[in-house]
Amino acid sequence: MLEVFELTKRFKNKEAVKGINFYMEKGEIVGLLGPNGAGKSTTISMISSLVLPTTGDVRLRNESVLKKPEKIRKVLGVVPQDIALYMDLTARENLEFFGRIHKIKKNDLKKRIEEVLEIIGLKDREKDLVKTFSGGMKRRLNIGVALLHEPELIIMDEPTVGIDPQSRNYILETVKRLNEEKQITVLYTSHYMEEVEYLCDRIYIMDHGEVIASGTKDEIKSILSQEQTLVIQVEILKGEFLKGLEALPNIKNISVNDPILKIIVPKKVNILNEIFVLAGETNTNISSVQIETPTLEDVFLHLTGRQLRD
Amino acid sequence: MIGILWGKIRLLFRKPGSFIVTTIICMVFAFFLGKSTYSEVKVPVYSSLPDAEVEEIVNELNKSESFKYVIETEETVKNKVADGTVEAGIELKAESYTLYQVGKTGNYHLINEQLNSFYSEKIRDNAVREQVGDSSDVMETLKKAKANPLFELSVSSFSDQNKWVHDPSLQSLFGFALFFSIYTVAFSVVEILREKQEGIWDRLILSPISKFGMYAGNLLYSLILGYVQIALIFLVFKYGAGVDFHGGFGKTLILIIPYLFTIIAMSIFIAGLVKTIGQFNALIPLISVSFAMLGGAYWPIEIVTSDILLTISKGIPITYGMEILKGVTVSGLSYSDVLLPISILLLMGVALMGVGIRLMESRHV
Repeated sequence: MLEVFELTKRFKNKEAVKGINFYMEKGEIVGLLGPNGAGKSTTISMISSLVLPTTGDVRLRNESVLKKPEKIRKVLGVVPQDIALYMDLTARENLEFFGRIHKIKKNDLKKRIEEVLEIIGLKDREKDLVKTFSGGMKRRLNIGVALLHEPELIIMDEPTVGIDPQSRNYILETVKRLNEEKQITVLYTSHYMEEVEYLCDRIYIMDHGEVIASGTKDEIKSILSQEQTLVIQVEILKGEFLKGLEALPNIKNISVNDPILKIIVPKKVNILNEIFVLAGETNTNISSVQIETPTLEDVFLHLTGRQLRD
Repeated sequence: MIGILWGKIRLLFRKPGSFIVTTIICMVFAFFLGKSTYSEVKVPVYSSLPDAEVEEIVNELNKSESFKYVIETEETVKNKVADGTVEAGIELKAESYTLYQVGKTGNYHLINEQLNSFYSEKIRDNAVREQVGDSSDVMETLKKAKANPLFELSVSSFSDQNKWVHDPSLQSLFGFALFFSIYTVAFSVVEILREKQEGIWDRLILSPISKFGMYAGNLLYSLILGYVQIALIFLVFKYGAGVDFHGGFGKTLILIIPYLFTIIAMSIFIAGLVKTIGQFNALIPLISVSFAMLGGAYWPIEIVTSDILLTISKGIPITYGMEILKGVTVSGLSYSDVLLPISILLLMGVALMGVGIRLMESRHV
């Protein structure tokens, strides 16, 4: 349905996106994963025709949309990272405003507003001003506006930032339901690994403007199939202990979230003995040790040496 | 475009406070300042001429409604001027006058202008008298001709510093209406900037509405808002306060449109220049107050004597707005007579709008 070829965006001295390629099939949920500043927002701005790429092409059903952006705009719904709503209008008035902008006929609009209010679960608050809503409700309405004109493709730019877990679950469920029931194709960007793991069929991991890994969840996790993750909790993290760990030959990556250390090591190597010896030498008390199978977070750590939310 | 207008009007009804407050403040300022300027300013006079002659001069001068000339002793006049209890004192002579004042006020020019005009006419009459001797027939004919002129010649021009007509109540009304409308219009235009920052503008770009439609919807709303405010103020003053528009009321309602267009364009231009809404909000009061002072909204531009200030005023929309509004009311000018200031406003508007939209487009989205 959508293909992106060698997409690049250069702002003055900085190259925000460096020749990325990807594709989306109809009815897929594709995750675009990466830390802040990875180039996700610039990429989706280029796909949705808001920003012109420096080089490269975006194709919708094999047709370039760079010169005729109206083609993609017709089938596209965008959920921006910001709450792009009028705070002094009610939920219904916001939907009516954007419906009118989308030139939906009066009778159809009334029906669509009812449907959207049901989908986003705001029917009972339709007459309340948006400024009185919680963060989660605002985010739901933000999604609702993008659904009004029944788009085939939805781009969601971190739609769950800064909201409570309950609202977050509601949004994730809504996205999944829309995809399953209406076959809507979704490009979902996030830096929450668990959301992407839950929702997406395929994932693109971006860092520093490049796609550093892509594939299904299993394919990406298989990058670390030869490795395992040790989660070590210490009472007090000492510098000598950390230096000692870094000097051990089999350790591929260490991330520190004091007092927890995540260490990626080859599966076949038993490194626990060496770690305990090092702990004894540096007077470090180890509280617990866990051995985990790799998660996407671990893959990201392995690929970039950083955690997603660094 | 209609959708954008619908949304904006909804938002206005939801939060009409600032519009109502600006309109009321404008009315209050125009009413009280117009009235205080309009109320008779007492000007004490003294003279060594015979009493009858002095009274005759004072009666003639008092035909003007703006100043009340009162005969007092020389000492009283000079004391009052020295104490600052009056703006000016006059010594009336047969063919000249001496004007005493402590500092130059707005009224100084008006009094001086009136006395100048009165004495010019007096000297001319005396010259006629000298030519014809004491021929009572000629003087009688002259008197009759003055009383029943064949046609009345009224000279009024805003560009001619030597001869201009002043209506204090209209000066205040027009001045404050044009001044306050800058706030109303500018703070509605800046909403484009806010919508860009909040991502609403992106949503509009992705909708079927064209860029032209987006700008047109927003700018048309600003025009309507500014127009309704000024029209409301004029209506209240005409029918509520009984201000005389000298038969030009209808024309003023049409001719505020070019002025508003220029103010909208100027607001877009400023919005294109600034980086944040805070900067815009800080700039607008600075610009509007400077414009009002230099463009003759606070006081008549005709009393300004500095060539530099007069040159600067040529680049300010309020100058032309006031010229048009005063022209079609107090001076009774026609549409074609004010075509030049209208054209200048439209030219300014088109240029500022073009550059402003270009700046906004290149900087923000």
